[in-house]
Amino acid sequence: MISRVLVPMDDSDHAEHALEYALENYPDAEITVLHIVGVPSMMMGDAVGLSLEDDLEKAADDRAEPVIERAREVAADRDREIETVVGIGHPARNIIDRADDYDAIVLGSHGADWNRATRRFLVGNVAETVSKRAPVPVTIVR
Amino acid sequence: MTTTLLLTGILVAVFVGYNIGGATTGPAFGPAVGADAISKTLAGGLMTVFFFVGAWTIGRRVVDTLGRELVRDPGVFTLEASVGVLFFIGVALFIGNFFGVPASTSMTAVGSIAGLGLATGELNWAVMGEIAIWWIVSPFIGFWVSLIIGRYFYAELNRRIALERSEGPLFEVDRSGIVPVPALSDTTNVREAGGVVMVIVIGCLMAYSSGTSNIANAVAPLVGSGELEMNPAIVIGCFAVGIGTFTIARRTLETMGNELTELPLTAAIITATVSATLVIFLSAIGIPASFVIIATMSIIGLGWGRATRPMTVGDAVRGEESAPVSVGSLSDDREGEELPPIGEEAEPERIPKASDLFDPATTARVVLMQNVVPAIATVGAYATFQFVPIFGL
Repeated sequence: MISRVLVPMDDSDHAEHALEYALENYPDAEITVLHIVGVPSMMMGDAVGLSLEDDLEKAADDRAEPVIERAREVAADRDREIETVVGIGHPARNIIDRADDYDAIVLGSHGADWNRATRRFLVGNVAETVSKRAPVPVTIVR
Repeated sequence: MTTTLLLTGILVAVFVGYNIGGATTGPAFGPAVGADAISKTLAGGLMTVFFFVGAWTIGRRVVDTLGRELVRDPGVFTLEASVGVLFFIGVALFIGNFFGVPASTSMTAVGSIAGLGLATGELNWAVMGEIAIWWIVSPFIGFWVSLIIGRYFYAELNRRIALERSEGPLFEVDRSGIVPVPALSDTTNVREAGGVVMVIVIGCLMAYSSGTSNIANAVAPLVGSGELEMNPAIVIGCFAVGIGTFTIARRTLETMGNELTELPLTAAIITATVSATLVIFLSAIGIPASFVIIATMSIIGLGWGRATRPMTVGDAVRGEESAPVSVGSLSDDREGEELPPIGEEAEPERIPKASDLFDPATTARVVLMQNVVPAIATVGAYATFQFVPIFGL
């Protein structure tokens, strides 16, 4: 019985499709959306900006707000409620570290198109890494 | 024939200069324009003027290194070869801008010229080695200095610089006297004005450092070829940079794609100062500096230092830090128990730590990525000059 599902999301459409898929296919499970901020970038501007904040947790929540808000809307359209978690740093590592608390992971095949090549080089293909290393079943939504 | 080629060479040099102007105005004046301290036009003007000053005073030393010393025999800079080298620099700049991979123009220029030198067997390995060593050392210096600042001084600096713009114009012009005098408007307080002036001054410092380091990338091959004298070359190069600052720079200032401008203002000021100082120093000793890498390492150093800062009880009590310290927790420590070092107390799981944001592997990848474009330019230039027989070599 799958009762707890983790859905890592970035700001892409793929991520939204993954959430929709999870909501439809796990109607009785508790869905947790994870968004990661301070992801490595070319000059690490985002990560450094975050690390300079006095209140790291609040700053991370603020940055995650648009994606979390969007996820809540998607869930609300289907009369569902979701849990939300905000992580910081490296996406794949974040997801794998939390995987033990869930029964399954559902995520989009790839992230935002923006700077795909550079992102892929810096953080790798998140879906691929997670599916290889996570201790629970992983569904990759295309 | 020669005149046509020379004109082509100058045109390509102008294209390179134009792109340099476009690419460097953002990092230099992005924070100032973003804070509404100056207009884009004024940013372009300041950029052009200070770039020229930097190029004219110190920049010529780097032109000498690139145009006359990196290759043992500057004779390899035939006009055809010069155009080829400039072409590679221009293409690299384009790739960098197009794909959003920041690439050091200076590294690309040195790479292209080294490729030419390798193909002709005229590369001066002593000069190349000296440049390469500085390329390795200078980012470490930037990283370390910023790390120290981030670790121990950032909070204090941030308090002092705190730049929050009030409503209304910053200055108003007092025309009651014979000479119009700009004065602080009623809505501007002194600290705010100080912060704004600082952002502009640091923009000018960046522009100056860019001039010292970047003029060579546009004109060194032509100066090396002996077809263009140093002074006219510098003037032409700066003119091209000026065109860039007033045209495409408007777009780069607008998109704010530059990560330096995404940082908090205090952080931008610190990293800009550290990087610009290093670049000016390197230019002064004739080394073409890799500004992008120095700036990146300086940014990472600042964040890393801040993330690993030692947190004292004093800070926590003053409400400086996010970690909650209840009064009771101080008395919980029993005597005789070994205390963890200050700032290193085990935190409960899952509370995000700033140190999660940085790790050596990612930093290494960032640096590696920034070397991709210069590496491509080096290999491309070598292959072209070696195997395509149209350069009169």
